[in-house]
Amino acid sequence: MDHTSDPSAMRYVIDPSRLDLVEEFRASPLGVHSPELRKLLARMRWGRPEGRLVLIVLEPGKAWRLSRIPKRRGDPMPFVDDRVFTSLAEAEWHVFKLRWREMTGETLPAEVSGDL
Amino acid sequence: MIFRTNEYLGYPDRISVPAGETVRFQLSSKRPNVKVEVLRFRCGDVDVNGPGFKYEVMASNVDGEHACLDQPIRPGSNAIVEHDGALAPTQGHWCFGAYVYPTRIADNARAVMGNWCEASARGYALELDEEGCPVLVLGQSTGASARFALDVKLRQRVWAFVSVALDLVRRSATLSLIVPADGVQPIVAHAKSFALPQALALDSGLPFLIAAHHLNGEQQYASHFDGKIEAPRIFSRPLEAEALRVFDCQPRTGATEAGLVAFWDFSDGISTLSVKDLSSNGLHGSLRQLPRRGVTGFHWSGSVHDWRLSPREYAAIHFHSDDIYDCGWQTTCTLDVPADWRSGVYALRLTPGGNDPEANCESYVTFFVTPGKTSRRADLVIVASVATYLAYANSALRLYQVHFETLMEHVLWLPQDDVFMQENPEIGQSTYDCHVDGSGRAYSSWLRPVLNMRPRGYWFNLINDTHILDWLEEKGISYDLITDVELDREGARALAPYRAIMTPTHPEYYSFSMMNAIMAHQNAGGRHVSMGGNAFYWRCGFHPAAPAALEVRRGMAGTRTWESEPGEVHLAGTGEPGSLWRHSGFAPQKLVGVGFSAMINDTCGYYVCTAESEDARAAFIFEGVDRDEKLGDFGFRYNGAVGSEIDRYDLELGTPRHALRIATSEGLGAGALPTPEEFRTVVDGLDGTQNALVRADMVFFETANGGAVFATGSITYGMSLGHNNYDNNISAITLNVVKRFLDPAPFVIPAQA
Repeated sequence: MDHTSDPSAMRYVIDPSRLDLVEEFRASPLGVHSPELRKLLARMRWGRPEGRLVLIVLEPGKAWRLSRIPKRRGDPMPFVDDRVFTSLAEAEWHVFKLRWREMTGETLPAEVSGDL
Repeated sequence: MIFRTNEYLGYPDRISVPAGETVRFQLSSKRPNVKVEVLRFRCGDVDVNGPGFKYEVMASNVDGEHACLDQPIRPGSNAIVEHDGALAPTQGHWCFGAYVYPTRIADNARAVMGNWCEASARGYALELDEEGCPVLVLGQSTGASARFALDVKLRQRVWAFVSVALDLVRRSATLSLIVPADGVQPIVAHAKSFALPQALALDSGLPFLIAAHHLNGEQQYASHFDGKIEAPRIFSRPLEAEALRVFDCQPRTGATEAGLVAFWDFSDGISTLSVKDLSSNGLHGSLRQLPRRGVTGFHWSGSVHDWRLSPREYAAIHFHSDDIYDCGWQTTCTLDVPADWRSGVYALRLTPGGNDPEANCESYVTFFVTPGKTSRRADLVIVASVATYLAYANSALRLYQVHFETLMEHVLWLPQDDVFMQENPEIGQSTYDCHVDGSGRAYSSWLRPVLNMRPRGYWFNLINDTHILDWLEEKGISYDLITDVELDREGARALAPYRAIMTPTHPEYYSFSMMNAIMAHQNAGGRHVSMGGNAFYWRCGFHPAAPAALEVRRGMAGTRTWESEPGEVHLAGTGEPGSLWRHSGFAPQKLVGVGFSAMINDTCGYYVCTAESEDARAAFIFEGVDRDEKLGDFGFRYNGAVGSEIDRYDLELGTPRHALRIATSEGLGAGALPTPEEFRTVVDGLDGTQNALVRADMVFFETANGGAVFATGSITYGMSLGHNNYDNNISAITLNVVKRFLDPAPFVIPAQA
């Protein structure tokens, strides 16, 4: 197994107390990030494709909707909810919050988790 | 509006067609009818922020509604041997077996060899079951199958010899497995005998198959084997399993082998789709759906890496249950391309038609019209990167790669075509993807629907290239279009009519003939505007026996999503080494002055002029351009002319010594990372914030006989052309270059060069 193929190759551990990184991301989900936030994002984005949250392009440059990569090739690929994103930054922020909860087990406090 | 783009699927029989000739389209849909129109594209990009979806509807003989069949895709490769009953045992002894190297044991049985037909339950076969146990399957006149299993599992990616000895007199069968010693494992042998039922039906009346069963009698196949098979053999006399295994078939004049019915030697004809029987029966066969040859066999010594030097070490074929070369669909319509059509990017637009049109239901089948025999040629020709479109055809990178979201640095955006590919994997994927057994895909063909080579589809490659066509049309520059398939087939002759050629955003995959055709053009006084990045990178080839397929071997270096198995770098089709052109002594720098340096995964950059830009030789390039400005700090989709994949100047790698590096990139950050062949040891400081080699260079140089080359070294350059209504410094520079390159006044190589 090589690094880029190994789902477990990223060893960064997300520290749930680092709300400063959350705020940095929220301020600019698609911007240039600090080295520490880059590490956190690389960890969040790494791993087995099965179950990964992805955006389905409904209308290029205009509308996106969340789905997940299914377990098996050939399986249907339903949307995970009804929300249609019209901003990639909003979608990025939404996925960040879902992954924060999945990976840390903690829900972000209201003061750092509102919409952009 | 959300479009449904896969209600109709299709493919052309030829990817490029000269004006005045015909092209056949094979279409499929669950709907009984299809309305066909032909469109010539100026820009195929539907992004609301782009230059617009621009095309012209061309009246043709296929306009209107056609009946449309629902035509399935049946992937899976195998060998077929016609035998007129010679391979159906009737009496006495029948011993058969082969070396196998299973690469996926799962889901269902995997056929090794036999004539078994699932529908009629007649015939015989040796297979591995879903657990990896060898199984003998026999037909009975009762209509039920008889199955005998050896309770030992083969392991994935371990060579073994499986065999069967049938004694039709004593009505017994012995199933054997020999796993030769490998690594720390000693040789292991297992065998089990069974009493046979009375009324056997061993002749299915169908051809003998290797690596599949017959699904029915209609040339449909099932239970495809995933893995390598080597040297299948059949004897009509009794032989112990080990004697059958070690039998070395080397025919000698005047000395036939008693009882040898067939011995298929896959080392013979590796570059073909034929399989040769060395026995005196001449039971030769053929391959379907392009399995991979030129792969290491059981006898590979490790001392040879080129199958041409020692074919006997490459006597295996790697079959895949998801190999797909040709869907084999029936033709729906045949387009007579009028002789007066302009060359360019064309597509069939497929809609439901009828009295109740559905505005959101629209599919495309792309093809390219090239100049015909009577076409008046322009001075400029665009060479569309079909080899690259094929290498990426139906790319599933966004679906199945561990690293891809980290690489892209955002949540992955999947076009609906990706959803279709997930739900319909039989369509086959790209050379960036892996087969179901985890081995890399070496082949990609246009004889199947290619979802991401269509207008309204994913933008990388073809649609990005149409931004350049859009700019040429906007500036009123007359051009022809051919594809690199013409370069591959015709060499430099394909470029001879033109003063200047333009290669678009991403001509990454280039065959030997394609590379040399461009070099010959440049050296004969031709001009080359190299608009892209990551250009002229992979050494690849179209398969001579399967000419609609590109073959790619990844080698062990380069930016790659899989790598070749040890000893499997050479192309089966042509024998030449795959991998990077850089590793064949022909780095892209030698052709166009720049070669691949880095991928940009975060923000794109721009160029700044160097001191060399002030050289009088380059003055024409900057006419009307402020050299102190940032060049291309703007652009559609990428927001910068330096981005995605970028190329740099390097004298050691072959940049001509007189080349001028007129501009270089700035503004690249931590997400700009070098391609692996650019460093030999991993050290700190590799990314774009510190690494001076992570850059794009814009170069210009003159060539022999009055020619010249201009290269941008960046994929995203073309998407900056349209900024500010086509009025910007990237557009101005490009226009200066194109105009001068179309001027017959010769360029002169400076004396010191």
